[in-house]
Amino acid sequence: MVLCIIAFFVFAVMSIFSAKYRPLAKEGLKCVFKTITFRPCDTGLDDRIKARLVSELLKFSPGAAKVLNKHFVIFSWLFVLLTFGSLAYSIYGFYNFYVYGNCDGPDSVNGCVLNDITGDYGRFSEPKDLIVPTNYDGLTEGNPNGTLKIIEFGCFTCPYTKKAEDTVQGLLQEYDGQIYYVFKPFPLPNHNNSFEAARAVLCARDQGKMWEFRKEVFKQQDVCRTDGTLAIKELAQNAQLDMDKFNKCYDNNETDAELGKYVQQGKDAHIYATPTFFVNDKPVVGPKTLDQFRCEIEKKDSLVKEIGCLLGQWWG
Amino acid sequence: MKEIKKDFPVLVNNPDIVYLDSACTSLKPMQVIEAEMEYYKKFGACAGRSSHRLGRETNQRLDECREKVAKFVNAEKDGLIWTRNATEGLNIVANGFDFSKRKKVVTSIVEHHSVLLPLIKLRDQGKIKLDVVGCDKEGNVDFSKIDRETALVVTNSWNNILGTGRKINEIAKLAHDNGALICVDGAQGVPHHKTDFKNLDFLCFSGHKMLAPTGIGALVCKTDHLAKLKPLMTGGGAVKTVELNKVVELPTQERFEAGIQHYAGIFGFASACEYLNKIGMEEVEKHEATLAKAFYEELKSAGAMIYGPDSPQNHSALYSFGFKNAKAHDIALMLDREKIAVRSGFFCAQPAMEVIGAGDGATRVSGYIYNTPEDAKRFGEILKKINVLYS
Ligand SMILES: Cc1ncc(COP(=O)(O)O)c(C=O)c1O
Repeated sequence: MVLCIIAFFVFAVMSIFSAKYRPLAKEGLKCVFKTITFRPCDTGLDDRIKARLVSELLKFSPGAAKVLNKHFVIFSWLFVLLTFGSLAYSIYGFYNFYVYGNCDGPDSVNGCVLNDITGDYGRFSEPKDLIVPTNYDGLTEGNPNGTLKIIEFGCFTCPYTKKAEDTVQGLLQEYDGQIYYVFKPFPLPNHNNSFEAARAVLCARDQGKMWEFRKEVFKQQDVCRTDGTLAIKELAQNAQLDMDKFNKCYDNNETDAELGKYVQQGKDAHIYATPTFFVNDKPVVGPKTLDQFRCEIEKKDSLVKEIGCLLGQWWG
Repeated sequence: MKEIKKDFPVLVNNPDIVYLDSACTSLKPMQVIEAEMEYYKKFGACAGRSSHRLGRETNQRLDECREKVAKFVNAEKDGLIWTRNATEGLNIVANGFDFSKRKKVVTSIVEHHSVLLPLIKLRDQGKIKLDVVGCDKEGNVDFSKIDRETALVVTNSWNNILGTGRKINEIAKLAHDNGALICVDGAQGVPHHKTDFKNLDFLCFSGHKMLAPTGIGALVCKTDHLAKLKPLMTGGGAVKTVELNKVVELPTQERFEAGIQHYAGIFGFASACEYLNKIGMEEVEKHEATLAKAFYEELKSAGAMIYGPDSPQNHSALYSFGFKNAKAHDIALMLDREKIAVRSGFFCAQPAMEVIGAGDGATRVSGYIYNTPEDAKRFGEILKKINVLYS
């Protein structure tokens, strides 16, 4: 029976620590072999597991024990599938964590995890843990008196911040006149050359060419990450910056004091992933779609819209 | 009887276990274990071969043992052959019997594989004509098929599936009236019921089911039948003289006991007979009748189906049972979770299980002298809980 597949794994691990479990692991292996070749398992291990589970349950709930006893095969299949499903999912998560610094992979809505900065290993924060920043300094755009104030903490070499960029552009267009957008660079140490990129964008801002340069950086994010300064300077040229000025600013770390301020603000806000937005003080973590932002912004307008948003969130 | 449990180390060492699988093998009392050790501690020599004092003493003690075990079934000591178990005895009779004049063997379907398989083998080899008498749902067998062609009737006195017995003396008379002999499988009868060999020709039983060690049993024969029986194997101790072209076998039962025997087991076997005699087989039967009634009531009130006759009358303390839609093995395993030891499966009697309607196996409860009505009660309590799973 399928259950012995799990029994085998469990006993195999246990038998590393105690010889007592080795015969059981052997029995499990035999049974697994029979099961996968579609023969009945004749070691009796499966029957013993069943008797044990049903007897234990019988002590607490005869009704539940009866159901388990009757549909034991179905339950064991479910259990095995769930176990393997979650095992595969965990392995996928570890892989993603290793490759992307995030358990959910490149399409995650959770953004780049930066436990490295906050030191919160093992403790994954939630949006409700965030503290709304108290000022609007940073790379700004739009109407400072607008009704829609959006702050973004982002990292120029974070794929999720890049992913959110289209949404940011969409918001700036759609809510033109109402929106005041503030970008606070928040370079993550686990992304190569993130500080360099942030420094460079600030230097470009000093020349009034923040958006042009920023666009280049996101477009060439991979190269930025791998080649660092070399690539960044080339991009600066592409964005037609005054290279003398740029080199001076960049090479002398002229913007680092400012950058340090934003990083501190991010830490104070308990940012745990990039990008993190505050939409009229409401935290939104991860690269959400324009639709999702619209929901955040407008959902209080009507019940129908609110339900639509909820469904959308659930679906997306 | 209440104090008996104290004699059984397995029960003393596992006070929470209720052992209800004595039909498979019984537990052994300390007296038997000590008798077995006594051989190794005080005797330790060969019998019937060495003339030194230890050898002589061993020989004498074994002789006494033979007498005790034979007496236990009211038989002559000269007709008793030591075997490993009932199975060996049954094989010796089937293979050593003289079928030159009559070829027909009558047996029943409610028999242990140890009865059926040697006979089926002989039938397939063309050496005998086998008539396996069927039975009704209650396991009753009609032996009127015994006729003047019949050479041998093989039957149990009590069976290990239904816990029922046979009127063995009547069957023996029918056989003898037709000029046939009878071989009785006493594996379940001898341990639990007073057994008298007087009217029988061959009787096979195992020590381990009657408090004795494993690996020792007996085949009891009428001495004139023994003289005509051929042994299954031969070797040291079974012969009188050996020349390369002439071997003279011993005329006595030693002819069947080639090689050194299980002396310690024999010591234990005799001690087991003594132990049972001390209680008295009538007392054993009475105790088991009480147990049979207690099991019956517990099974009934737990809603179990009992295979065979639905009554505790004339019943050993042994029942095969089941629940509708339940796997026999599951029941046994769940009882085991509560430290109650019963057996499940086909009990080495698959053809019988088919005809009594337990083709997928059954669960079997069987008691012995060390079991009490309290044991039956605990068994019943757990069984009632298990029944909930299938009701
Ligand atoms: C009726 C009957 N006959 C024969 C045997 C065989 O006994 P053994 O295995 O000791 O040879 C048994 C044992 O279960 C039995 O119950």
